[in-house]
Amino acid sequence: MLKVRIIPILTFNGFGLVKTKKFTNPRMVGNPVQAAKVYNSRGVDELVFLDIFASTQKRKANLKLISDVIKECYMPVAIGGGIGSIDDINDLLKIGADKVVIKTKALLDNVFIKEAVAFFGAQCITIAVDAYSTEEGYMVFNALEVSISLKDFIMQMVDCGVGEFMLVSVDKDGMMEGFDIDMINYVKSLTNIPVIAAGGGGNMDHYKELFTKTKVKAVGSASIFHFTQFTPLDIKNELIKINIPVRI
Amino acid sequence: MVAIIDYGMGNVASVQKALNFLNVKSIITSDSSIIKKAEKILLPGVGSFAQGMENLRKGELDKILTEEIIEKEKKFLGICLGMQLIMESGSEPLDCEGLGWIKGKVVKFQDESLNIPHMGWNDIKVYNNTYYKNCISKDFYFIHSYHVVPDNAKDIAATVDYGFEVVASVQSDNIFATQFHPEKSQDAGLSVLKAFFNQDAES
Repeated sequence: MLKVRIIPILTFNGFGLVKTKKFTNPRMVGNPVQAAKVYNSRGVDELVFLDIFASTQKRKANLKLISDVIKECYMPVAIGGGIGSIDDINDLLKIGADKVVIKTKALLDNVFIKEAVAFFGAQCITIAVDAYSTEEGYMVFNALEVSISLKDFIMQMVDCGVGEFMLVSVDKDGMMEGFDIDMINYVKSLTNIPVIAAGGGGNMDHYKELFTKTKVKAVGSASIFHFTQFTPLDIKNELIKINIPVRI
Repeated sequence: MVAIIDYGMGNVASVQKALNFLNVKSIITSDSSIIKKAEKILLPGVGSFAQGMENLRKGELDKILTEEIIEKEKKFLGICLGMQLIMESGSEPLDCEGLGWIKGKVVKFQDESLNIPHMGWNDIKVYNNTYYKNCISKDFYFIHSYHVVPDNAKDIAATVDYGFEVVASVQSDNIFATQFHPEKSQDAGLSVLKAFFNQDAES
């Protein structure tokens, strides 16, 4: 039986790891290579590493540092930040990335996403979808002044044949008050492509709620691992109690 | 020496990293003279079947590999796309011919109620224990939208439950292959690689 994945998300600002709240106020939380080493020794299911300001600062991801992070990992690693070309993806795969996470370019250029899927296969292309709630429905958050609804963006990416979505609730990001169950269910009603749900995990009940009230099979989290004593294993041990399949 | 075939299909680096960890000597190559000298051959790969075959044919790697594996009977490990390509035919994106070392085909998951790709950790049911003896955990990392359907049940080394019994590993004589990624499956995966390459070192 397929296990649910508990995925630590490392967000990087070009110098060190940071954690935001509602996508603002990045707070320094440590060294990425050290964090990767710890997560590998804990046998986490997968790791996501995002250079979150690369695109807005118009720079490429720091390949040397990413390579050092990946060297510590014997589990699947997804890397994102500043990806704008087939060569950028190739550079990341060459140093051992398994998947790439694309956001900005996906909002600007569907043709490129189609090309990337054709070239590297669907399994390689994860799309980051940062969404927030408005009176007119869910919208995709971005720094580009692109106005697109969550539904339209998801359907465009489904049409491009992408392999996975990483859905982050901007309203819940860093708040540790629980996941946006409605938004997650909404996206799951649109597609059968795997979704990593992220934003809001702060205690064990939040994870139980996520996996009982939605059909997602993967969760991404950062704050709970940075700011509490809980580890991915603690979450799994709680999920086992309610018969959610996990890998120990 | 293990030749890790470099044919432009994905993450050869992570495969070599796992072999390095196990102190198994390997070289990433597409050079026919090096492949011919290698004792074992590893075909990794992610991406589409048709593209994979096209890339193999470009450097006549399909012929060289068939000679080394089928005629010279060198030990072979295929991973993910490297497992699919050894079948007779694929369908990604259109029907096309594979290396044909094991009878059978590669087809897309059909059930719309499943998440596709099949992505994440899933436990396998072992039918041929040769390389799975030492696995304490049976959870491996899968990521694929197509799956292998061998003609002969005896070629199935392991299956995985994803709505139905999906073939997770095949084995026939000197040929062994996994749909999952042992190089990404931490201790379980390393134990399979160790069993495969160590047995070879001893023989």
